Amino acid sequence: MLVPAVALGCALLLAQTGGEADLGPRVGDVLPRLEVEPAGPPVIQPPASPLPVQHWQAPTVCLTLPPTKAVPSGKWRAQCDAGSRRCLVAPQHELDSEGVETERPLERVTYCADEGYVSESALMKTYRLEPAVADAPPGWYRDERGRVMQFNFDLNRRLWLGGAWAPLWREGQTEGRMRADFGISVEVPGEGRRLHRLRFLETELYLGEPGFDATAMRYDFSVERNEPLFRVTTFFGEPRRHDIHINLGLWMEVLRAEELERDGTEAGFLTWGAVHATLDLWHSKDLVSYVRVRAGPSVERDYKNGFSTLVPGAALEGDLTLDRDGFHHLRLGVEAEKVLLAPSVEGRPLRPERLRVSAGYELILLAINDQPLSLVVDGRGAWRSDLANVPARWEWSAAAGLRFSLWAPARRSAPMAPAARE
Amino acid sequence: MLALGLALLLTSTALPPRDAHAAPSVLEAHVALETGAAECLPVDARGEPYPICFDPGDGLVLGTGGRLRDGEGAPSLRAGVHIRTGRTSRSKGTPWFNSHRLLGLEAWGGEQRGLTFTVYDGTLRRHLEEGFILVPTARPLRIPFPFDVTLAPRVGHLERRVWEGPGWTLETVRAGLLLDPVRSETGRVWLGVGPVASHTLRRSPDGAEHTVSPFTTLMLDTGVESEDGLWALRASGLAGWSLGFENGTFFRARAEAGLERVLLAVEDQPVVLQLSGAYTHRDAGLSRRSEWTAGAGLAVRAFSARW
Repeated sequence: MLVPAVALGCALLLAQTGGEADLGPRVGDVLPRLEVEPAGPPVIQPPASPLPVQHWQAPTVCLTLPPTKAVPSGKWRAQCDAGSRRCLVAPQHELDSEGVETERPLERVTYCADEGYVSESALMKTYRLEPAVADAPPGWYRDERGRVMQFNFDLNRRLWLGGAWAPLWREGQTEGRMRADFGISVEVPGEGRRLHRLRFLETELYLGEPGFDATAMRYDFSVERNEPLFRVTTFFGEPRRHDIHINLGLWMEVLRAEELERDGTEAGFLTWGAVHATLDLWHSKDLVSYVRVRAGPSVERDYKNGFSTLVPGAALEGDLTLDRDGFHHLRLGVEAEKVLLAPSVEGRPLRPERLRVSAGYELILLAINDQPLSLVVDGRGAWRSDLANVPARWEWSAAAGLRFSLWAPARRSAPMAPAARE
Repeated sequence: MLALGLALLLTSTALPPRDAHAAPSVLEAHVALETGAAECLPVDARGEPYPICFDPGDGLVLGTGGRLRDGEGAPSLRAGVHIRTGRTSRSKGTPWFNSHRLLGLEAWGGEQRGLTFTVYDGTLRRHLEEGFILVPTARPLRIPFPFDVTLAPRVGHLERRVWEGPGWTLETVRAGLLLDPVRSETGRVWLGVGPVASHTLRRSPDGAEHTVSPFTTLMLDTGVESEDGLWALRASGLAGWSLGFENGTFFRARAEAGLERVLLAVEDQPVVLQLSGAYTHRDAGLSRRSEWTAGAGLAVRAFSARW
């Protein structure tokens, strides 16, 4: 009896020691759970005013919290900070006008990891849970109901349709006319500091005093070169080196047709192609806005008179986006052309000339379903001696109208909504 | 009979069932949700699936029939390529429902021979569950706007009427901006109304006549299709003022409606009965006539089965 009793006692002792060693990790597993096990269910704090905003692309966990009146599903997006033991929580669905969640999931939010895959999710539920507005991508704003809307528009990447009242003044007389316009513009950043601009089917159609101006394709680029084009060293006193940065680029257009009628004379010109060298006098850091000069030749067909000509031209032009969100745009231009190699045409000089000036302003008034509607006003002047039997003179026009743009994504430099507010 | 013959010809080109693992498009996903793949693909006695659902907006269409104009009948022929796509906009993150009709040809014989040919005609509808107007105040203001926006471009629509003599009518481009109050979550139902801009050139022995409509025309485009795609009803209308460079302003209108019913499928290629009617007010042909037309025919709409 004694032997079995001693054996049992030793076994129990050994088992106790070994058992402790085995239990060590289990306790370690359990302890944190005991630590995080909330005394009661998680409590969502009353909403602050204004609501804080979650951070775009910060790690987000999809938590299931106890149902509330506003969020009966209990589905929330949480961004937590372990240091301050604080979570910003936003419903996973949009809210209705009464502040109760709908069946529509939030749009344009980042990935949300399911709590089942996040080991700290139970711990997070013990943190201070503060209601917030869910994150939104750059250029987009999310309201308290979780609905997202775009507040930053890139009008250099769009398809537009527009109409304007564009009367024409000539020698004290006014001609009422309408203008319809259409076009597609695309901007593509290139390698290094380079920005390619493309425009397709840019068309202006005039009614009243009939005419149109349409271009199949236009291309140009701006560049910010790191290396100076050349350098000048001066030797007056200490030798000094001066780096000359000249940002030369290219501008070209293909198939531009212009048709107009003045004093009963019809004229039509088809530019097969034009290639100009450009020199940016100034451009913005992102290369989107610029003031530049360009010059070069084009080959043109006068299809009403049936001959082709060489037309050298030069222009000073600017396209400026005036604000961060792309609502204000200013466009300026002065362009001169001389028609060479043309045969003699009765009623016009042998080498006719054209001069055009323009200034325009475009302002986004509002956005319909995230598509901007803008007000366009511009003034233009033209002097030309290339119309047979029409005396060379200035004619001026002013236009005011609306333009509806499709596409128009957020600008590449678009800020986050909170930064925009600040 | 020609349609049936064409259908038989196409039997050799019938598409094999798609890879079950292929990623479905947005639209296909909608279709799958609506009708269920199993409902559209019953299994025959040999255990092979066969489609009984079709997409009226997809396929290579070739058909023949009869056409009635001003009381005179004539045989007619129709052809074209229809493509329906759904995609999610990368810039806006919302779905687009797109219908493209390419290289559409309709030719008719008889004493009033002629044809129409359209290079491209499409509708591109951007769907939002809750449309709105954003007023860019310091804190953006959101005003409800319960419409989807549809872009309706048409490029290169040529009409040639041999019986009117030399000459043709070419609508170079037409672009409509339509608002859709139905805001359907599928591409099967739509109702777009809005202004249209267009340019038309009429070329006759007397010369060329340009007319434009700078958003002074109102367009309606509507349609509804059954879930299985066996029925499709489509109607469109256009009314407004065009401005002639030489001839001043004139009012014109067009209305047309069409009904399609899949009658049978030969080697999974549906044979469709097409009925149509149209009225044109001061816009038909070189002399801008007013006229009624009606048509009926059979067409094969190859490659439009939903697998």
